[in-house]
Amino acid sequence: MRITIGVITLFITTMGLAQFGTQKVVPNILGDSIFNESPEFFTMEWKKGTTLTKLETDIYIDIDSTGLQSVNMLVDEKGLPVLYNSNISAPVCADGECRLMEIRLYWNILGRYAGFDWIKGLPLTKHDHDEFLEADYLKLHQLLIDDNSILKRREIEDLVETPKDSIMADVDGISGATKEEVKESVVSGALYSCYIAWNLVHGEVKSEIMNHTLSLMSYEMVIGMLYSNNVDYQFFALNTLNEYQYEDHYIRVAEIFKTGIPLVRTFIVKSLPRSFWKSDELQKPFWECFSIIDVNSRSLMLDHLEKASESVIESISAELQIMTKNQLKKYLQDLKERGNLSAVTMINLEVFAISENATFVYLVKEFLEGKN
Amino acid sequence: MKLFASLFCILLVNLYAVSQDVLIEAESFDDPGGWVVDPQFVDQMGSPYLMAHGMGEIVRNARTKVEFHKKGKYNIWIRTMNWAPGSWEAPGRFKLKIDDSVLEKTLGTRPDWGWEYAGKTKIKKNKKVEIELIDLTGFNGRCDAIYFTTSNKEPPSGPNNLTSWRKSVTGEPNTPELTKTYDLVVVGGGIAGCAASIAAAEQGLKVALIHDRPVLGGNASSEIRVHTLGIYGNFERILKMLDTEHYPNGSPEAQLDQNKRDKNVKSYDNIDLYLNWKAYDAIAEDYTVKFVDARHTSTGERMRFNAPYFVDSTGDGWIGFWVGAEFSYGRESADTYGESWEEWGELWSPKKPDNVVMGSSVLWRSREMETRQEFPKVPWAMAIAKNHEAVNGEWQWEFSRNDLNQIDDAEEIRDHMLKAIYGSFYNAKKNSENENRKLEWVSYLVGKRESRRLVGDHIFTFNDVLENRKFPDAVVIEEREIDVHYQTVLQDENNPDFISEAIFYKTPQYYIPYRSLYSKNIDNLFMAGRNFSCSHVGLGGPRVMRTTGQMGAAVGLAASLCKKYDVNPREIYTSYLKDYLELIEIQKIEKTQRN
Repeated sequence: MRITIGVITLFITTMGLAQFGTQKVVPNILGDSIFNESPEFFTMEWKKGTTLTKLETDIYIDIDSTGLQSVNMLVDEKGLPVLYNSNISAPVCADGECRLMEIRLYWNILGRYAGFDWIKGLPLTKHDHDEFLEADYLKLHQLLIDDNSILKRREIEDLVETPKDSIMADVDGISGATKEEVKESVVSGALYSCYIAWNLVHGEVKSEIMNHTLSLMSYEMVIGMLYSNNVDYQFFALNTLNEYQYEDHYIRVAEIFKTGIPLVRTFIVKSLPRSFWKSDELQKPFWECFSIIDVNSRSLMLDHLEKASESVIESISAELQIMTKNQLKKYLQDLKERGNLSAVTMINLEVFAISENATFVYLVKEFLEGKN
Repeated sequence: MKLFASLFCILLVNLYAVSQDVLIEAESFDDPGGWVVDPQFVDQMGSPYLMAHGMGEIVRNARTKVEFHKKGKYNIWIRTMNWAPGSWEAPGRFKLKIDDSVLEKTLGTRPDWGWEYAGKTKIKKNKKVEIELIDLTGFNGRCDAIYFTTSNKEPPSGPNNLTSWRKSVTGEPNTPELTKTYDLVVVGGGIAGCAASIAAAEQGLKVALIHDRPVLGGNASSEIRVHTLGIYGNFERILKMLDTEHYPNGSPEAQLDQNKRDKNVKSYDNIDLYLNWKAYDAIAEDYTVKFVDARHTSTGERMRFNAPYFVDSTGDGWIGFWVGAEFSYGRESADTYGESWEEWGELWSPKKPDNVVMGSSVLWRSREMETRQEFPKVPWAMAIAKNHEAVNGEWQWEFSRNDLNQIDDAEEIRDHMLKAIYGSFYNAKKNSENENRKLEWVSYLVGKRESRRLVGDHIFTFNDVLENRKFPDAVVIEEREIDVHYQTVLQDENNPDFISEAIFYKTPQYYIPYRSLYSKNIDNLFMAGRNFSCSHVGLGGPRVMRTTGQMGAAVGLAASLCKKYDVNPREIYTSYLKDYLELIEIQKIEKTQRN
């Protein structure tokens, strides 16, 4: 399985620069086979004492000028995949002079960017041969994290001003100044290095890694992902679990619901099996998060009001001030359909109706006055 | 206008002599002063209204004169809304002046639309009274109507009761007094509606183009200022009369293109242009639209439009909605049409369907002045703006939330954006480098991306693009990438909830079939614009305005063949496709002489 970095080919051809040779697997200049330290720039959690062993895969990144760069899988002591990495040598050229960019890239097991190491003694450099400073590496890391970067969908030529109105500044690979809107995202003076690195990280290799992982996927791995702190892993696991597995792990699902990003939360509410909405016990931990979750997740939860227990209705009656207008309307409509309200709910409504700081007091007042 | 207002009141007084009630619709004021007529939310709150859109500077008084035929002590009720209720002074406060006397009561303070009691006044018989609305803040105070009554009863507020009450008070008959008949009635004067009108008119059809704004172009107009994107396809000649340059969204350069567009559409003798007319109903019999009823947004005058064929280019699919056309709203599940994109998962196409759509934008800009400019505190905006600072707003200023419907809750969406804008600008003004900045322009119109999508014989989807389907009836051609937007707050709760991001999918050239441009179940209804037949992801590419313009032009030509052969839109595909495709080629060269 080989992935070609076409854009690099295009660029080198365009610039008419010397080729470094093709179709040759580049020897691993680092030679590491055991990893027991976190990559220097890393998006994930590296538990102390972790030791990973490198295994070869059949995934390669083909860089026309430097050959096939192997992608390795790093496994834990149980042999389960934890990361993928590749030692990249890629040419960066400017003004007819080329040098190799040496960088070790990491992906998580779903093919998402996980981090990088720069190679001691072979630092990344800019157009003017200045070495990257710590801040530059950090900026590169931030750029690589952004999978929807401005560099996406663009040819390198689109990222620089046309030569006629450019000043030869702030570039590292092509004649032209970096466009203003691109500058914010890339390391100053290192547009081309950034461009290459971003396209390596977010190229076809992502889906190849994903497919490789899927071919090894087991229930144990899925559950490991569910209990990890990585949002991508949680999402993958939540998307993979069946109805019964949701029930088996409902406490963990509720934890993710409590602490996750809104996108994950809304996915959870939409994915909870019907059995959850028939069981007070299964619903409970989700309703308990009502006051701390985001507005979209809250709306989705309110779609299930009809099946909620009286105690849930009571607990929500103490949270009226956080609801949007439509959410409050939905809640009051549910109360109307339920008929008899508990004393706790009534008291909470009455207290809210005389509060001074809440926005939609009038809705509750009108409800109590029987207007709604 | 002045004449109308007076006559209106005489009519009321004559019809309801006993109750001595006078209803004054604010949008019908003789002189709106600095207030603007806002007809965007009529279908939700019941009427166009006057709004003091001063961007923080108090606007000039709106004035009108009303003749009272009966003397009496009148209670005065104002239909208004505090658009940002909370523990602060309402942002849109105003007062009412009757002749020389300013009523004590500050108005615009009641939450949600309803009647606010303004006070009492004595009026002599046959007295002509001058009424003024006095803006106190410059921050979007709003007045829908003023009701003088000698009774002590508050007028009804609920939407259904209000509508019937209004009808009874004004004595308005069910049917508009005036009916006009055309070959084609186009509702919605965005780029799609304009293109449909021109294409049909050039083929000799007598066209009515009904548009609820004073200028044409919809999202491309100088009132909303989104530049047109996409290619011309088969309709370069027509679309060049309507499109825009590629200036930044929100740029005042939109005015030049506005002038071009208005002039071009008006140059067709057989297009009757009904600017400031808003369609409010349509009726179908036997799955055939019989007529559309429309009302002037200021005068309240009504008209019925008959035609054998109708184009729904309202953007919200209103005509289709009123006549029972099939439609969709929200996101289909990824499996519905197989539109998943692994890399973007839920953000692109969800595992389970939902009511999420791309949001609406309100564009805005500020400019540097020579001297220091003050901007008032906006406490009612800060819960939305939080710490966000900005001096301009481009397309990323977009708002969508899953409890808000882009049609039913459009006013709340617009108001949310106003809070975001005023709050962010206030934050930016605290920075000394912005002390000379002043708000130059803030649109008060919601620039919608997505709402109802009417269902045609073909539902255009992402797969039509991926598989590069070359339909036999491919009439729209596009090559701009598909982009689907999402709110960035979904990925990080610390982000402002009014900023979006776009996911781009680079495409080869793709095609939209004619079958996506007419209704599946309403026999004589075409659609063009963002309400064409497509999935949520399918809309991601062709929602831009040169593409929707292509749809319009394609529909206008099809309508001309419908008339020629006396057939319905579907039969153009089943029986006259060759003629249709030939006509598309022929029209590339203009033959019509315009004025």
